[in-house]
Amino acid sequence: MRKQERRAWLCLSLALLLFVGICIFGVRFVRDGGKWASFYGNTQIYTDGLINRGTFTDRYDEVLMECTDEGVVYNGNSSIRKATVHAVGDPEGNIASGAISIYRSQLIGYDLLNGTYDTSKAGKKVKLTIDAEANEAAYYALGGRTGAVGVYNWKTGEILCMVSTPSFDPAGYLPADDDSSYYFNNFIDGAMTPGSTFKLVTSAAVIETLSNRDSYSFECDGVNEYEGTEFNDISGHGTVNFRDALAVSCNGAFGDLTRKVGAKALEEYTRKAGLMEPLKFDGITTASGSFSFPSDDNIKLSWAGIGQADDLVNPCEMMVYMGAIANGGEAVQPTLIKSATFIKELTGGKSLGRYLDEDTANELRSMMKNNVVENYGEDNFYGFDIYAKTGTAQTGSWNPDAWFVGFTDGEESPYAFVVWIKEGGHGADAAAPVVRTVLNQLEADKEYSE
Amino acid sequence: MRWLFVVLAAYILLISIVSLLSTRCTPEIWGYFLVEDGGNYPITHWENVIGRSRSADINIPLKTMSGNHAILSRKSEDKWVIKDLGSRNGTVVNGFPLEPGRRYLVSPGDEIVMGGVHSTVAPASLEESRNNEVMRRMDKVPVAPWKILLAITLFQLLTIVQLVIGLGENITVGAVLCIILLSVVMWTYVTVFKAMGRKGFEMEMIAFFMSTINLAVTASFDPGAVVKEFVALMLGLGLMIFMCYYLQDLDRTRKLKPTLIILSAILLILNLVLGKATFGATNWIEIGSYTFQPSEIVKLAFICIGASTLEDLYDKNNTIVYAGFSLFCLACLALMSDFGTALIFFATYLVVSFLRSGDFSRLIFTGAGAGAMGLMILKFKPYIASRFDAWGNVWDPQYIDSIGYQQTRTMAFGAGGGLLGLGAGNGSLKYVGASNTDLVFGFVMEEWGFIIAVLLVLCLITLTIFAVMSIVAGRSTFYTICACGAATMFLMQTILNVFGAVDLFPLTGVTFPFVSTGGTSLLTSWAMLAYFKAADMRRDASLAVRKEV
Repeated sequence: MRKQERRAWLCLSLALLLFVGICIFGVRFVRDGGKWASFYGNTQIYTDGLINRGTFTDRYDEVLMECTDEGVVYNGNSSIRKATVHAVGDPEGNIASGAISIYRSQLIGYDLLNGTYDTSKAGKKVKLTIDAEANEAAYYALGGRTGAVGVYNWKTGEILCMVSTPSFDPAGYLPADDDSSYYFNNFIDGAMTPGSTFKLVTSAAVIETLSNRDSYSFECDGVNEYEGTEFNDISGHGTVNFRDALAVSCNGAFGDLTRKVGAKALEEYTRKAGLMEPLKFDGITTASGSFSFPSDDNIKLSWAGIGQADDLVNPCEMMVYMGAIANGGEAVQPTLIKSATFIKELTGGKSLGRYLDEDTANELRSMMKNNVVENYGEDNFYGFDIYAKTGTAQTGSWNPDAWFVGFTDGEESPYAFVVWIKEGGHGADAAAPVVRTVLNQLEADKEYSE
Repeated sequence: MRWLFVVLAAYILLISIVSLLSTRCTPEIWGYFLVEDGGNYPITHWENVIGRSRSADINIPLKTMSGNHAILSRKSEDKWVIKDLGSRNGTVVNGFPLEPGRRYLVSPGDEIVMGGVHSTVAPASLEESRNNEVMRRMDKVPVAPWKILLAITLFQLLTIVQLVIGLGENITVGAVLCIILLSVVMWTYVTVFKAMGRKGFEMEMIAFFMSTINLAVTASFDPGAVVKEFVALMLGLGLMIFMCYYLQDLDRTRKLKPTLIILSAILLILNLVLGKATFGATNWIEIGSYTFQPSEIVKLAFICIGASTLEDLYDKNNTIVYAGFSLFCLACLALMSDFGTALIFFATYLVVSFLRSGDFSRLIFTGAGAGAMGLMILKFKPYIASRFDAWGNVWDPQYIDSIGYQQTRTMAFGAGGGLLGLGAGNGSLKYVGASNTDLVFGFVMEEWGFIIAVLLVLCLITLTIFAVMSIVAGRSTFYTICACGAATMFLMQTILNVFGAVDLFPLTGVTFPFVSTGGTSLLTSWAMLAYFKAADMRRDASLAVRKEV
C-alpha cells in the first residue's frame, strides 16, 4: 500500500498541470480580456459586423461617432467628419490606428469585473483628446493637398490635432480598396524625407560632440562644392556660424558639420531622438523612420545630415522630438484618450525618457527661437511663444515637400507640432501658415469652452 | 443578483473543498503483526506487504528478509491470507513451507516464520480498538451538509428566476420543474442517508452544484432538452448509489471484472458496427429517439478493470489482461475517430499502470510509443493535423474564422462575461456549435462568469487531491487505484475540454465532467463519483464503505 501512496504523485502532477493551465489562462484573461471581448466575433456587441454601442466625442464633447444597433452615426458636419476620420476610424476597420479599432474595449464599456455586461446596451462615451474644430481648420488649411498635421500638448501628451489627407467622408462612399491611400494615416503610418527639419537632430549631435562649435564658421558661396559634389543653397549665405547656419538652414555648413560629427554620432543622436524605432502609445504603433549613415561615404553622409539621402522620418515621432526639446529633453508619450481625472494635468503625461540633455535641449530651443525671430517672423504667430524649424525636402518630384516643426511654450499653450505637405513647396511659405491657423483655432476653442 | 450567484457558489464550493482537503484520518487498525523480540506492528490496511524494503507496509529491517517478502491480506475478523512473493528464504506457516505465489489461510496465533523471523498475526484487542476508536473520533468530522444544502437550494431558485428573465418566453415548464425536482432529490438523498448514519456529503454537494449549472446551461441552450438531461442525472445518481453498495464488498467487485470486460467489449463492438452503419465514424449509438455514447459507460468499467488488490498486482496475468483490454479499447476508439476519448483512456491507463507497477521507465516508454502513434495519426488525419497547426495561433487571421472559430468565440464571449457573468440565458456563445458540450467552459464563463468557471475546475482538482490523500488510510489498493483512475479520467476530461476551448491545447471535443450537456456524460460523471466515495475512509462518512459495528 505504501508504494501506491508514493506513486500517486503522477495523479497529482496531472492536477498540477490543470491548475497551471488555468493560471496561464487566468493571466491571459486579465491581460487580453478586453481585446477578446471586443473581437468582431462577439455578437453581443456587434450587429452585422459593426459595433452596436458606444460614442466617441472630441475633447469638448462634440459627438464624432455614435455606434448604435441600427448602425454608425457620425458628426453632422461633413468637413469635421473628413478631418477626424483618421483619428476616429471607419467602421470597417480599414484605418488600422483609428480609435474604433484601438479603443473598442473602452467603447463597449468592457471591464474585467463585468465584462460587457450592460443592461442599457448603450456602451460608453469615450472622449478623445482631439479638438474637432481645430482638426477641421487644419483640414481646410491643407487645402486639398496631401499632408499631415499633428499637434500635441508636450506636458500632458494629449493629441489635440491629428489630420491626414487625402481624406474621405466616412458617412458617404468608402473607398473600396482596403489599401487605398485614403485609409492611410500619414501622421501615424507615414515615413517621409525630413529635409532641413532633420538639422535639429544633426544640431543636437553637434552641440554634444563639438565643444568648439562657438568658434565655428563656414564660408557659404551658394554652391559649396565638396569632393566634386555641390551642396547648393538658394543663394550664398556668406560667413555663417553654427547658430546662423541653422537659422538660414545652410546646406553647405550642415554638410560640413555632419562630416565633423561623423556617422556614428549622427546615428546615435537619431536613435536618441526616438526616430529609429516605432513609437507605441495607447495601442497604436507608429511607423518608424529609416536612415543610412555610411561612414565610408562622406557625400552620402553629408546629405543624410541635411535630411536628404535615404532619410525617412515619421511625423508623429518628429512631433514627440519637438516636445522633448520643449520639455528640457524629456519626451512625453502622446495619448488620444482624454482621461477623466485632472491628475494628468498636474503630473504631466507618461514620460518616454530623456531624449536630450537639458543643456542641449535649451541650446536647441534658443536656436529655434532664433530661427523664428530671424527668418519666419514672430509676428506671424502673434500671441505664441514659438520655436520652430522649416524643412523643404527634395523628393525628386517637381515641387519639394514642405515641413514646419516646432513648439510653443507657455502655461496655457504648451504645444508641439508638425506639419508636412507633400509637394507643398517651401516650408516657410506652405507649412508654417497651417500651423498658425491650427494654433489660433486651438486657442479660440479653448477660450470658448471656458 | 450576479454578485449573489458568485458569493453563493464560492460559499458552497469553498466549504466543500476545504472540508475535503482538511481531511486527516487516523487509519483503522485491523490487527497487529507480532514479531518475536521485535515488537508489534499495527496493521492499518486490508492488504500489507511484509518485507525489508522501506516501502513495505510492515517493515522488518533484517537481512534475512526479502525486500517484498510476502503479502498479508485480511479477509475477515479472524481470517487472514498470506502469500509468499517468491522470497529468497521462503515463508513457513505452522511448520509448513509455503509455495511462492499461492495463497494460504492463516488465523491469529498461527506461527509465521520468514527468513528466520518468528511472527504471528494478533487480533486487535478490544482495548486497542477502543483507543483507535477514540483517535478516529478526534479526526475532523465531515462538515454538516445543511447549510450547504440551503445555499444550493437558494442558488437553484435564483437560477430559475434568472433563466426566466434571461430566456423570457422561451423557458419551458419542464425545465423549471426539473431544477426544482433536482432540489427535492438532493434534500431527499441527504436526509435519507443522513438518517442511515452517513456523514460525508461534500462530494455529492459539489456534484449537485455542478449538475445545477449543467441544467442551467442546457436550459439556456435548449430548454426542451432539460428533461432528458434530468432523467440521465437521476439514472446516474441511481447507478452511483448502486455502485457504492456493490463496492462495499471487495471480493464481489473483484469477481465482477471478467463480466465487465466482456460487457465493455460488446458495447464497443456494437458501437463500431451500429455507429458505422448509420453515421460513418462516430461514437454514438441511436436507439429510437435516444442516443447514447457507449465509450462513456465503458469508462466506468475501464477503471474497475484496471484496479486490483495488492495480491493480484503481483500476478503477471492480471497485468497482461489489463494491458490487452486497454489496447482493445484504444483501438476501438481510434476506429471511431474519437481521439479525445482515446487520449483520456490512454492517460488513465498510464496512471493506473504506474500505480500498479511503479515502473517509471515503462511509463516513459509507453508514452513515447503513443507519441509516435500520435504522429502517425496526424499524418493520416489531415483534419487533426490542421488543428495542431492552428494550436496557439487561433487569433491568426488565417484561422480566426475557420479552424479557430470555436476557440476565438469561446474566448470572446467568455471574456464578455467578465468575472461575474452576463446571467444565465443571456449568453450568445450558445449560437456557436457544440457550445454546451466541448465549449462549455466558455459557456459558463459568459453566463456565470470567470470566477464560477474556475471554481468548477477547482472542484475537480479537489476531488483528485482527496483521492490521493485517501490512500494513506485505504483498505485495499483496489479502492485507491479506482479513486486515482477516476480522478485521472476527470482531470483529463477537464484538461482537454478547458485547454481545448481556450487554445492551450488543440480542440479535441470531450466533455467537462458534470457540466457539459449530454445524458451519457452526466450519468457517467455521477456514477464515477462512487469510486471517490469508496476511497473516503473518514469514519461513517461514505455510503460506499461498510459501516463499522
